[in-house]
Amino acid sequence: MIDAASVAAIPLLLAVFLGWAALKRVKVYEVFVEGAKDGFHVAVRIIPYLVAMLVAIGIFRASGAMEMLTALLTPVTSWIGMPPEVVPMALMRPLSGSGSLGIMAELMNAHGPDSVIGVMASTMYGSSETTLYVLAVYFGAAGIRNVRHALAAGIIADVAGMLAAIWIVNLLFR
Amino acid sequence: MLNYVWVGIVLVGILTAAANDVKDDMRNTYRNGVPLDAVLDVEKSPSPLRSTWEGTLVIPAASFSAMYDQPQTAGDVREPARIAALSGGRSSISIPVVEAMPGIWKEMAKSGSGRDELTGTLVSVSFSGDGKTAAVRFVLEPVRFVKMKAVTRAAMDYAAMAVTIAIGLIGVMALWLGVMKVAEEAGILLVVTRLLTPLTRRLFPDVPAGHPALSAMIMNMAANMLGLSNAATPLGLKAMEELNKLNPKIGTATNAMCTFLAMNTGGLVLIPATAIAVRAAAGSSNPGIIIGTSIVGASCATFAGVAAAKILERLPHYRKMLDDPRG
Repeated sequence: MIDAASVAAIPLLLAVFLGWAALKRVKVYEVFVEGAKDGFHVAVRIIPYLVAMLVAIGIFRASGAMEMLTALLTPVTSWIGMPPEVVPMALMRPLSGSGSLGIMAELMNAHGPDSVIGVMASTMYGSSETTLYVLAVYFGAAGIRNVRHALAAGIIADVAGMLAAIWIVNLLFR
Repeated sequence: MLNYVWVGIVLVGILTAAANDVKDDMRNTYRNGVPLDAVLDVEKSPSPLRSTWEGTLVIPAASFSAMYDQPQTAGDVREPARIAALSGGRSSISIPVVEAMPGIWKEMAKSGSGRDELTGTLVSVSFSGDGKTAAVRFVLEPVRFVKMKAVTRAAMDYAAMAVTIAIGLIGVMALWLGVMKVAEEAGILLVVTRLLTPLTRRLFPDVPAGHPALSAMIMNMAANMLGLSNAATPLGLKAMEELNKLNPKIGTATNAMCTFLAMNTGGLVLIPATAIAVRAAAGSSNPGIIIGTSIVGASCATFAGVAAAKILERLPHYRKMLDDPRG
């Protein structure tokens, strides 16, 4: 059901919005073009924010710091019922979408998609967003440099999502 | 806070890379200067037109793992290789990077001269009677500062990637900005907003009822839940721009912006399509089993994020940033 909604959503939305506007005698084409012309500026405006964030994340990933951090955190994480294999997943999720996707695929190949590790990794992937990327892109569009408490709130959301994923998977699949 | 987190990520990365390189150098992880023995199955002997031997280099799994102190692989290491005679009686060996190459060799090739191959010099070679095989002993080019080189490469690559991502957004961004403009003119957005007013008034008390920012935020959340990230990002950016029109202090995030961002980082999706696709590809017997667990996880994340944003915005430290005109 929800699957069908995902597929039909965009065509339906376009049909309803544009059709309704045409009935209300809006000059649809002219207004569309008028709105669309800002697309370029918004995209270009986020470039400096995105460069700053992605370069930092790229350096961090290439340096091997992730392995070091994983080793440091393992004693704490095994205490809360988190297998050491999924620690890199939890660390990577807020930093990089493609990185966490790679880790998830790797874990599934090594341990099987239906193992506790496989289910936990994929639940973690589905339980959170790439916080630093979202922060850079969304605030970049508005030219926000001082993000105030947004980063702290985003990280709290990530930690809560990861802990909830660990808890629910341990509860249902172990 | 972001200033410190950002510089922290960069510095931790660079310092870790330097420490890893020093460690690799002391342990000689890449066995610089240590000769390797292998057998070359000759496939192409030199001809008048070509002065190279080409063939398959074979190293027994046990000796490869002993050499690099690595867990032993299932089969022997088999790699295409080429031996070329150089002037002065020396010979070089080059091994192109192929899919099946051991990880440590791939790493070494990547940090080498930049062409996709490992190179080395031949110490000795002795052909069998029929010339079909040859026992070769060679030393690979020394490899140093692997992580530092990787960090340099990552900095350049990710900077370029940022531009690729942004440029890729132009089309969908234009599409959704156009659609939103049409919807705005037709008064559709007002209808959408009115339905959810009780919720949005609590979440974003600073945004006046009927403001275009509300409709853009609602559409963004709806697109996110349906997993339509192509539509969600442009709508979210539109929402941020609209919220910025209410911003008394340009360049500093308002409370509404932080709350909206926290909702987005929670990433509530009804169908986590990417994770399901990866599970199916990995041969799961029930790829969709994570739908329920993901909804639980993302709901907790979203709730915690919004609650944190609402509590943190009251702290004097963050309140002052919005009031103080200097910073």
